[in-house]
Amino acid sequence: MTSPHALETRDLGKRYGRRIALRDFSLTLPRGGIHAVVGSNGAGKSTLFRILLGFVEPSWGASSVLGCDSRRLTPAVRGRVGLVHEEHTLPAWMSVAALTAMQRDHYPQWDETAFREVLDHFDVLPEQRVAQLSRGERAGFNLALTLGQAPELLILDEPTLGLDVVARQAFLESILFVGASETRTVVYCSHQMDEVERVADSLVVLERGELASFSSPEELCRRISCWVATFVDRPLPSERDLPGLLQSREIDGEQHLMILDASGDLAARLHALGASGLRRQTVGFDRAVNAYLSRHHDGPAPSEGVS
Amino acid sequence: MIQIVTGDPRPIFRQIVDGVKMGIASGEIVAGSRLPSVRSLAMQLTVNPNTVAKAYNELTAEGILESQRGVGVFVCEQRQWLSSAERERRLDDALTRFVSAVVSLGFSHQEILRRLEDELAPLSSKEPTP
Repeated sequence: MTSPHALETRDLGKRYGRRIALRDFSLTLPRGGIHAVVGSNGAGKSTLFRILLGFVEPSWGASSVLGCDSRRLTPAVRGRVGLVHEEHTLPAWMSVAALTAMQRDHYPQWDETAFREVLDHFDVLPEQRVAQLSRGERAGFNLALTLGQAPELLILDEPTLGLDVVARQAFLESILFVGASETRTVVYCSHQMDEVERVADSLVVLERGELASFSSPEELCRRISCWVATFVDRPLPSERDLPGLLQSREIDGEQHLMILDASGDLAARLHALGASGLRRQTVGFDRAVNAYLSRHHDGPAPSEGVS
Repeated sequence: MIQIVTGDPRPIFRQIVDGVKMGIASGEIVAGSRLPSVRSLAMQLTVNPNTVAKAYNELTAEGILESQRGVGVFVCEQRQWLSSAERERRLDDALTRFVSAVVSLGFSHQEILRRLEDELAPLSSKEPTP
């Protein structure tokens, strides 16, 4: 029963009619740590989690969660997985106390300390009904209930969406200092790059249903560089001229080129393409990921150059 | 004391390493003092404790910090542990990066030197005697 992996997919694919949502997706997440999953809207994140948790069947390939085939998850295995969804859907008519009691009864391994610790971050009273809670309080209560069930695998799908600064801070602290432990694997999906940079041990990048990258956040940053130059009376470089070109944007008359895995002769190559005033900028985490995700993204394509 | 910003070109663990080094260089952090624990600094900064641990490990490997089991992490008496050739190489490295970053900014050499001296001034109390 004890698998060394928190989750595993092999050549996983999902087709919805003519659209392929997930394509030959193979990923093995080791146990422990916080793994952030990023990708543009429609990159396949939700489909991936639906398949992993057995809500939908894959069109091809296989996947497992905590060593158990996703298509044959038993209630016992499901009980070891916690899921927090952006909507924080909880029964609106129930009181905090009643819902807590119900959840406590469902999980034999209930961790009252973790539940209390998280709930203390939020201003929630036992007699309040869920409908009376603010979005931030509901999110906190939802996270507390989920950590109370002491899951081995915790999946958070854009959990801080729509939260104010205070609630967001409380939520992140709860994940980092109550949620994460050596025996728990946290999968954190988010579009908030500042949050991802703060919490992630490793980073999974999904792009158009494929695994684009799986590394530490620093490693992805190291692979991406930004080059600034002007191209007077010369066509802007396209992906054909510059392998690894992720994004090309004009800012104040200068062209900012984001390059993946720049080769040693890139400066010479750019000069040959007519670049003047060439200089290299270091790139922070959010810019690196944004550049990576903007590749092949709808909108001004990199090869068209000017936006 | 140690501060981080997301979106900085430096990864968070590097910002922590630099922050501790700057703190020592400016005298804000003195030899023998205890740094916050990994967990407590992670909480102050709202970052993953593993990131702080990674920064502390690097500082320990460089001989800047010393971890005493069960007691905490302490700042070592700073002594020069790099060979003079390595120090030269690192200085060259840093200068090349600095010069290439400022060359196109249009400041006069005097202005650049003046600003550099301003930045070094707070560290002068710590200047090693040759």
